[in-house]
Amino acid sequence: MNIGLHEYLMTSALLFALGFFGVLFRKNTLVIYMCLELMLIASTLALVAFSRFNGTLDGNVFVFFILTIAAAEVAVGLAIIVALFRKRHTVQVEELNHLKN
Amino acid sequence: MTTEYLKAVAETNDWWAIAPELLLGCCALALLAMEIVLPKHEHRFIPRVAIAAQAIILGFLLYGTYSGYEGGTSFGGLLQHTASGHYGRVFFLLSSLLVCFLGTICLPRTRMPRVEFYHIVMIVTAAMMLLVQSNHFVLFFVALETVTIGFYILVSYFRDNALTLEAGLKYLVLGALSSAIMLFGIVLLYGAVGKVMIGDVVHTGFEFPVVADFLKQNPDSFLGVVGALLVVGGIAFKIGAFPFHIWIPDVYQGAPTPVTAFLAVASKAAGFAMLLLLVDGPFAPLEGVLIPVLSLMAAATIIVGNLSALTQRNTKRLMGLSGVSHAGYLLIGVVASFRVEWAAGAVWFYLFTYLLASMAVFGVMAHLAGTDDTAQELDDYERLARDRPLLAGVLAVGLGSLAGIPPLAGFMGKLMLFIAAFQAHLTWLLAVAILGVVLSIYYYFGWIKSAFFETWRPTPAAETPGGRLASLAPSWISALILSVLALATVLLGFYPGPLSGWLVK
Repeated sequence: MNIGLHEYLMTSALLFALGFFGVLFRKNTLVIYMCLELMLIASTLALVAFSRFNGTLDGNVFVFFILTIAAAEVAVGLAIIVALFRKRHTVQVEELNHLKN
Repeated sequence: MTTEYLKAVAETNDWWAIAPELLLGCCALALLAMEIVLPKHEHRFIPRVAIAAQAIILGFLLYGTYSGYEGGTSFGGLLQHTASGHYGRVFFLLSSLLVCFLGTICLPRTRMPRVEFYHIVMIVTAAMMLLVQSNHFVLFFVALETVTIGFYILVSYFRDNALTLEAGLKYLVLGALSSAIMLFGIVLLYGAVGKVMIGDVVHTGFEFPVVADFLKQNPDSFLGVVGALLVVGGIAFKIGAFPFHIWIPDVYQGAPTPVTAFLAVASKAAGFAMLLLLVDGPFAPLEGVLIPVLSLMAAATIIVGNLSALTQRNTKRLMGLSGVSHAGYLLIGVVASFRVEWAAGAVWFYLFTYLLASMAVFGVMAHLAGTDDTAQELDDYERLARDRPLLAGVLAVGLGSLAGIPPLAGFMGKLMLFIAAFQAHLTWLLAVAILGVVLSIYYYFGWIKSAFFETWRPTPAAETPGGRLASLAPSWISALILSVLALATVLLGFYPGPLSGWLVK
């Protein structure tokens, strides 16, 4: 079986969809956060595949930028989640609904 | 890629062109250094240094030689120096200056560290200033993420308040979601364009002109259209357009008041600057898809924003939801800019009037906020006109301008947008917008009413007269700044010439 651009893109789209629906439907904040990372990883997979099959290096370079951004996002995001857990003793989204009028 | 090519690219590095951003970044770092070096009782000078530095950079930008760069590119095509980019830089610097001023009012009430607030605001501003000049999707995404991650920290800045943290978490999850969607769109565009040879130099789908050429030749490219729509969806989140506006009321309520102002003004303007940048450049050939999508989005945004603002009693949620409807009016301007050239200038004019009026209102809100920053109700404004006539006057001018009452600046902004929409034959959108303006008068005047007229209560209010408001005397400097904002709003309504002549060509 010959694996080409099409297979890589299907995998990437599948990962992206998994992440997207995970963010929408999961209840635990940490799992939601993992799903967000999954979406970023799906984009990097597609970037590397396009970069390989189009014969340009720019996509590979952009992957490093995305990884750095994802690391910064995780650092800030986990800090917020930990601070919230200390206040509320929960990370379940259905219990984090005090902002209502 | 030869050494000569890399040398040629390096020669286009024009550091002077981004000197304001570099200076802003260096000043932000200098603030952190000052906190370590200075003794503790001198720390109160640090916010003043931050504000003074930004004022100097703003003057430098306004009276410097930066208009001479218009049209050119630098840094190997990463940046393009356009008129729109110049307006954006001035706008973001002005708004961050005013946000720092709001910070000096709100931050001393809490036990939170102060210097980091100014540091992050300045870094975010520098990133926004680069964002409006970007000409390359990598720079575009990196600058946008610098802004977004900075905002994650700012929104949850009062970390001893559980509601603020909850708002921070909501902004974090939805912001990261929108960034991921936009990133996937950028990747699809990159893949759709592939490898383009111009001369013997390889170009890719990250460069705006290359994307524009590709979409002009293949307007039906599936990957290209889906990619563009995903990018626009990511931006729609930033501007709070329907159906991506669900985060707005909660995050605006939970965020500290200066950050709410920063989100409402600068973050929204950054979204519109990005949108104008894209529909004017790479996405211009897709008008057959984008005009219907953006028109429907604008109409839905105006209706949903105004209807959900009608019943709000919390002032921060009210500002958020009415801001959603302002995003709808501005989207009409963006749609009109496909057909009417000066509509982009009208959008910038509207954003400047929105900046002045919103900052005046947020300035009053910052003075009236109690120890709990998230609980600011309309009832708190009772007796404001009697006890603090200056604040009440500024509030009335600001809200009147937001509602679009002639002769205030907001009216001129709406008028220019609506004329642009009329010239672009968007009659049905115009009808929706005028309906929205009429609805908005109800809640804006409800707010003014609660500040100027006493409401009858079956039992007398428990508070002693003037007890709460007595502690809120604005210092002379904040009274001066608020008066200047209100005065500018009135004057721009009568004489829009100087600003509109600069923005609308």
